[in-house]
Amino acid sequence: MEVVWAVGQVGAAWLAVVFGLIIVPSALGISLGISEAYMWVLVKTLEWATIRLQKGAKKPQPQMPRTPTANGIIERDETPMEKEISLLHRADFEFSHIFYFCRKGFEAIVEDEVTQRFSSEELLSWNLLTRTNVNFHYISLRLTVVWVIGVIVRYCFLLPLRFTLAAIGIMSMIVGTTAVGQLPNGRVKNYLSEVVHLMCSRILVRALSGTIHYHNKENRPQKGGICVANHTSPIDAIILTNDGCYAMVGQVHGGLMGIIQRATVKACPHVWFERSEIKDRHLVTKRLREHVADKSKLPILIFPEGTCINNTSVMMFKKGSFEIGGTIYPVAIKYDPQFGDAFWNSSKYNIVSYLLRIMTSWAIVCNVWYLPPMVRKEDEDAVQFANRVRSAIARQGGLTELPWDGGLKRAKVKDTFKEEQQKNYSKMLVRNGSVG
Amino acid sequence: GCPQGPRPVTSVLALAVTSEQIEHLHRRFKQLSQDQLTIRKENFDSIPDLEFNPIRGKIVHAFFDKRNLRQESDGLADEINFEDFLTIMSYFRPIEMNMDEEQLDRFRKEKLKFLFHMYDSDHDGKITLQEYRNVVEELLSGNPHLEKESARSIADGAMMEAASICVGQMGPDQVYEGITFEDFLKMWQGIDIETKMHVRFLNVDTIAHCY
Repeated sequence: MEVVWAVGQVGAAWLAVVFGLIIVPSALGISLGISEAYMWVLVKTLEWATIRLQKGAKKPQPQMPRTPTANGIIERDETPMEKEISLLHRADFEFSHIFYFCRKGFEAIVEDEVTQRFSSEELLSWNLLTRTNVNFHYISLRLTVVWVIGVIVRYCFLLPLRFTLAAIGIMSMIVGTTAVGQLPNGRVKNYLSEVVHLMCSRILVRALSGTIHYHNKENRPQKGGICVANHTSPIDAIILTNDGCYAMVGQVHGGLMGIIQRATVKACPHVWFERSEIKDRHLVTKRLREHVADKSKLPILIFPEGTCINNTSVMMFKKGSFEIGGTIYPVAIKYDPQFGDAFWNSSKYNIVSYLLRIMTSWAIVCNVWYLPPMVRKEDEDAVQFANRVRSAIARQGGLTELPWDGGLKRAKVKDTFKEEQQKNYSKMLVRNGSVG
Repeated sequence: GCPQGPRPVTSVLALAVTSEQIEHLHRRFKQLSQDQLTIRKENFDSIPDLEFNPIRGKIVHAFFDKRNLRQESDGLADEINFEDFLTIMSYFRPIEMNMDEEQLDRFRKEKLKFLFHMYDSDHDGKITLQEYRNVVEELLSGNPHLEKESARSIADGAMMEAASICVGQMGPDQVYEGITFEDFLKMWQGIDIETKMHVRFLNVDTIAHCY
């Protein structure tokens, strides 16, 4: 009996602390400085760990060129095909061409640009998270002790805390939006719905220990526009709604996600599609167009890549979002992998294990850049416009651009794309070499 | 799970491949083989970058060519294991700073031999006109506007050029049988192929990977 009482007291005290120190300030949008202190301690610890590791690894490395591992581990020769082939040109041309293609083939076999993007970015130094530490060898006692402390802190302290916060955040979202949904449509309802959404987003961001830096806030998406961003994880939406209100677009899910969707759509006109409706592209475009045409409605949030990429590159933007019309507000999101890997490899992990990993990482640190709005020019078609927007996002976020389709995660290269490339090569051959 | 360490590698590789590079190649091998111990030709279908390569077939074929695998017998293997994979990859090693003349020469010969095998598809030790034509056609494949005739004339012209280098002026009724490996070496004398036919690894100081 007394045990139950004691546990109850502890539980109540815990909740009080959480409410007082975290929820209320974050709901009001003010910061007590706890997160900043935590991040400072974290950064110092990781720096120390890196130095110890470097001291521990005593192998002399041969001098070889270095590059951030984000873009691969083999040195790629970026010479365009024409230049490289003409350099080797002798009277018999196909011998030189065969070198070129041989090498390209081998490079592709050692490491291909696409598959690389669907596994997490590799870090140059260890961040004390042993998700899988293949190469870990015992470096020093101190490091191991720190690592053990890290595990205890993460699993026994941070995880329950974050879980509590997430639960509170989701519940208040459902309750709050349902309550607001009872009001008649009008300015009061819209205002309150924005307040509720913002508050719950802030709580959820705290639940992930998120530190987000927003840049160029003057370019924030306006009403009646379309916001496009690169996609790395389901958290992207929360990161963006932390700083503004959007109308989400997506498929109707079941379970908890479905409950949230049904509740939020009462308060704010999010656009949720049934599974059958998604297949009909015209229907989708029509609904989105109607939404955009109404200038009093919140901007739509769309992720045109269609799938999660590992945040080192931006893949092909599907042109559907760019055919709707209206003003596009591009946003670039770049996560810092040092503190936690936000990428969701949906073919490897399901959502629950993904959330567990996120909640036991150190923190989610990211930069969000709001880019100036773009409009489709008259002589541009949707695909060119999509590529223009994509370049802007990639340049700002420091990501590479790949012309590949995110769908390659699961499917093979489309034949049309392949033939295009082959035609280019043949055209060039005939121009240069047929004299041979 | 943890990948098992690779078996002791042959001395061919001892020169330039570090243990980290072998680890990376092993991970790549496992990815391609889908966690099996051997790779078959079909496994190379899963590489999108390779789809564009016109001589894709020949490259994949080279991995299973027993001559490249340094096996005594001839013909094609059905499947290769990791050690064979490394053997083929070793043909694309970059040059080391500390190589002497003899090593450089052997190096170069190995790379050219690899290329020779790629052309000589019937394994008879000679590149005939037909085999040459096959290669050119493959290089130009995919372009429907290019007629077979153009491909043929390119191949014939090149073959004549090769013949003239190797045999000198031919008599009117002399038939050039095919390019042997010695002729092949002669053709490439003085041309620096070593820097064109390699894949260079970057220095990756990763101590641990987190994923």
